[in-house]
Amino acid sequence: MKRGIAIALFLLSVHGALAAQEKLEIFGYFESQFMGTEVKSDLYQLFSNKLRLDLKSDLTENITFAANFDYITYHGKKEWNILDFLSPDIVSQVPKGMERFYVLSFSNRTFLDNAYFRLSLKHFDLTVGKQQISLGTGYVWNPMDVFNIKELVDPTYEQPGHNAIRLDVTIGNAYTVTALYSPDDSWKNSAKLIQFKGRVPRFDYSLIAIETGWLFHDYTQFDLENMNFLELPERRRLLGASTAGELFGMGVWAEFAYNWMETSDNFYELVIGTDYTFDFQTYFMVEYYRNTLGKTDEGEYTLNDWMRFFAAEQKAISRDQVYLFVQHPVSDLISLGVQSIYSISDNSFAFVPVLNYSLSANVDITAYLNLNFGKQGTVFSKDMGNGGMLRARIYF
Amino acid sequence: MKNLLAAGLMVLLMVPYSSAQDLTADDIIRKVNDQFNTETSYGKSKMTIVTTSGQKRTFIQESWSKDRGEKNLVRYLEPSRVKDQAVLMLNHADDIWMFFPRTQRVRKLATHAKKQKMQGSDFSYEDMGSGDAFIEDFTSKRLDDAKKEGQDCFTLELTRKPESDSSYSRLVMWIIKENFLPVVIEYYDDNDPDYLLKAMIASNFQVIDGIPTAMKIVMHNENDNTQTEMELLEVKYDITLSDDMFTERSLKK
Repeated sequence: MKRGIAIALFLLSVHGALAAQEKLEIFGYFESQFMGTEVKSDLYQLFSNKLRLDLKSDLTENITFAANFDYITYHGKKEWNILDFLSPDIVSQVPKGMERFYVLSFSNRTFLDNAYFRLSLKHFDLTVGKQQISLGTGYVWNPMDVFNIKELVDPTYEQPGHNAIRLDVTIGNAYTVTALYSPDDSWKNSAKLIQFKGRVPRFDYSLIAIETGWLFHDYTQFDLENMNFLELPERRRLLGASTAGELFGMGVWAEFAYNWMETSDNFYELVIGTDYTFDFQTYFMVEYYRNTLGKTDEGEYTLNDWMRFFAAEQKAISRDQVYLFVQHPVSDLISLGVQSIYSISDNSFAFVPVLNYSLSANVDITAYLNLNFGKQGTVFSKDMGNGGMLRARIYF
Repeated sequence: MKNLLAAGLMVLLMVPYSSAQDLTADDIIRKVNDQFNTETSYGKSKMTIVTTSGQKRTFIQESWSKDRGEKNLVRYLEPSRVKDQAVLMLNHADDIWMFFPRTQRVRKLATHAKKQKMQGSDFSYEDMGSGDAFIEDFTSKRLDDAKKEGQDCFTLELTRKPESDSSYSRLVMWIIKENFLPVVIEYYDDNDPDYLLKAMIASNFQVIDGIPTAMKIVMHNENDNTQTEMELLEVKYDITLSDDMFTERSLKK
């Protein structure tokens, strides 16, 4: 809480300093959310309230400052035992007496999500500070993005900021070179990135190289000294490419990344997607994802696979998945949609009907159900629980 | 339709009335097309949507255009929900990018996205798009002259070419003889050329920087009984715009 107050004071002091500037903008949103999941005949309920406060100011013609502060409170069931969602085979891999450590906690949080300044000159932008980093063309999965993992049923939700120094250099009007350094405790563990982006008629493309420290955990061993699961840090090197454009009137995109790992097995990720808007306004999208870190059937899943997935250390448990999204505006204020994620590897799928309602110009309501139809042990097993989410967001 | 139309940026190429009588449909539509595509322009506009339930939604946006509509940038200022969202269209809207400030993500869109309604309004991105759509996507036929909205008008029927991917099978356009500004455009269904989808009415004509401009455009959706009004708050023509402004980098600012 003290940290939150300190951040708030910092932002207020920034506000004071910037108040003299004519172009200081203050905006943000308040979000109230209810999430419920039926687990083993019980209904887990989690409520959250989030206040996001954004500041943005053009300090000079060439320098911009931007920051946002998030305050999130949780209510209801704030500790979810991950083992409740896993099959008995997986649970049996948990070492005796360690069951209490497999808990996902939701604690109130107050934090400075982004805070950076940007120097913009004719041929480059230099951005220094905590900032969002968005890489790749995939909608749900981004093989090139080593910084973020999107929520499968909510892939457009904003991602957290990362501490980085970023330089974007434009070459002509069609090419950009980006160099980024995201510091960690050592040079080896820090992320170094260089990306080239270009375009040809109707197509964008990019090439990327990244070196970063990557932290897997062994969730079957506990490090009593650090009171955490055993850390398995290693170096990760990635080469990737992406493209997005149009073929035969349909939107198409692809993204690929090959990862060379220092100690664990090398792997690659691939995304191919397409979308289309029909004349009657219905929007259709399908995206295929392959991740060779994932396994080819549910019999191969281990406790570590599941935990690394829940801890966002890897993007998928199963090797091949397909995401489908169909949306139609039923009125000028309401759109209805369906998302479905199918795991080809273990033949399970989730079905997610979605409703978006624009209550007023600055108030959005979003609701979805999350229904799982896989057999026990699969990615979208019924044991994962059927549930839903209701969210109201008020912008100011 | 052009983004300039959306911004209400209508340019006059004055022609003597006497010679106008002999103009063919192609001559007229070419002049209309020329009017929409000034060399450069800037517009700040207010879009008000009247929803099916009678509620009003207001958006304020800025738009810049260069190279006679070949390059376009639109950025939303209000409401807070969409603040700083931006759309970049190059190559007469064959290349489209959209910037989402909350995620700092730029997404390349295929041209089918032009069929989507712009912020839930009665304008689609196709209606707002730029380029030579009236000429490239349609064949024009001159109908009997008529009086429309109190103006003496040429009447043109535009029929979609077979190779076009326009969402409209047919347009009927009434063009003011005096200044070649369309005062009414009717848009007909993709599959049924007799089914009227929506109609646009332009009004409040003013001369800005020497160029006649429609300061207000109303699009009425006959199907949903909704209406969107686009009102120009500020217009500038033939201003200096750098090519750097029409890049992905600029989209994020």
